[in-house]
Amino acid sequence: MKKILLISALLIAALVLLAPGATFYYETGGGRRCTSCHEMQEVYDQWHSSPHRGVGCEKCHGWALTLEMSFHLNNAERAWTHLRGDLPERVRFPHRYVQAIQEPCQSCHRQEFASWQAGPHSATYTRIFLDKKHNTGNMPMDDCLRCHGAFFESGIGDLVSPVSRTGPWRLVPAELANMPSMPCLTCHQMHRQGPPLRKTDVAGRVPGPSQEITRPSLAFFDRRTQQYIPLQDLPLPVMLEGTRAVKMSPDRRQALCYQCHAPVANMQVASGDDRTGLGVHEGISCLACHAQHGEQTRASCASCHPKMSNCGLDVEKMDTTFKSTDSQHNIHWVKCAGCHTKGVPKKKERIS
Amino acid sequence: MPNSRRQFLGAGLSAAVAGSAISCGASNGASPWRFFTAEEGRTVDAICDRIIPADRDPGAKEARAVNYIDLQLTRPFKRYRKAYREGIAAVDAASRKKFGGRFVELPAGQQTEVLADIEKSSAAFFELILAHTRQGFYGDPRHGGNRNRVSWKMLGVPFPPIRGLERYDQPKVG
Repeated sequence: MKKILLISALLIAALVLLAPGATFYYETGGGRRCTSCHEMQEVYDQWHSSPHRGVGCEKCHGWALTLEMSFHLNNAERAWTHLRGDLPERVRFPHRYVQAIQEPCQSCHRQEFASWQAGPHSATYTRIFLDKKHNTGNMPMDDCLRCHGAFFESGIGDLVSPVSRTGPWRLVPAELANMPSMPCLTCHQMHRQGPPLRKTDVAGRVPGPSQEITRPSLAFFDRRTQQYIPLQDLPLPVMLEGTRAVKMSPDRRQALCYQCHAPVANMQVASGDDRTGLGVHEGISCLACHAQHGEQTRASCASCHPKMSNCGLDVEKMDTTFKSTDSQHNIHWVKCAGCHTKGVPKKKERIS
Repeated sequence: MPNSRRQFLGAGLSAAVAGSAISCGASNGASPWRFFTAEEGRTVDAICDRIIPADRDPGAKEARAVNYIDLQLTRPFKRYRKAYREGIAAVDAASRKKFGGRFVELPAGQQTEVLADIEKSSAAFFELILAHTRQGFYGDPRHGGNRNRVSWKMLGVPFPPIRGLERYDQPKVG
């Protein structure tokens, strides 16, 4: 009897230690051992030639000595999937991990994270998908997930119920309620090639020849192909006002903005979600006014006004609504004639 | 009791090592491919390269059509595994018979000649790999081919498309 109990205890112990033991084996060696499964080779190579190559796998993927059972069970499930030969088309990060990875991002990029958190791009699933005003005007649809909830692993019907314009709506996975619908990984690709980066210095933060314009991680996660499209491959549209081609800023970073803040098929300025600058702001990059992570704009007016203002008005006190696309004062496409309805006066000579 | 503790720890360690060994055993050894052997992979890559060679634009080799075929042979193309195994062997046999060397060792011109023979002698396999090479070259990158969307760039397919939605444009409900 004692022998049976001992053998049972040993078997249970062996089973309990199997998963963390295997995980420990794989996590030592900087992820090299993970590549014994063929499907891991590409992601391993990408990581070890990426700007984050100095960061260990465990920083984002978890550490073997954790007591969190779900971590070990997930690894066991992956091993079983591999052993069965049921290989995925692409190795992808599950949605729940995309959410969890916010924390390691935050631990190093604190300023950027705080700025993003204070801005509209940190909007939660509740804010985006349970918006009564939006949902009564536009039925929730799969295409919403192209920008909001891009990593969600199913269709809109598994996210919002009912899929209708009448509501009341609820999130099917209730645990997503307070999760960001546009997490860091929507616009930043971690597994991609690039030299190790140093923290941006003071010169890199101010306009000038040393200003840092882009970081190599900038990319758009394309839900349709389940791939990141790097910034240099994203198209910059030719925007139109009627039949006139609008002057566009050559700033490549805007290509990322246009993936979601996009015009409808006729490419007209202000159609759909487009906010291309027109009128007095034509040719100015989105990023000239919008902060990179927080999207704040108010303080940006002072960088050009009043020194570049034609009328000397304190523009920060003007009605420059951005919510109403019908307003002639909309900051994105306000024209001189929008205020001077009886004709634009000649520019006054400055007296120095 | 100390003896039991030692046994317990020993068993735990054995389990950990066993877990690692099991997982190591699952690896596909020296082949970098999922289904193909290393040699088969090289041959298929060379065949794809002859079917859609690079010119001023990348070809099937650069698009990694072989990766598409290898990946799909572990998925919906499982039924073609036998056809590939036999077809690749037939290509190498034809290559040895005609030029005395393996297909991958031949210059491009001779490879084309071998494939012209295969098109007649193993028509079914030739049609199969022709179709799969096209799919791997032109298809969606998520399926393993068309690396970096090389064929879409060649065709000038704007990707990803910039297409927004009309918003707040529907009549009110209720």
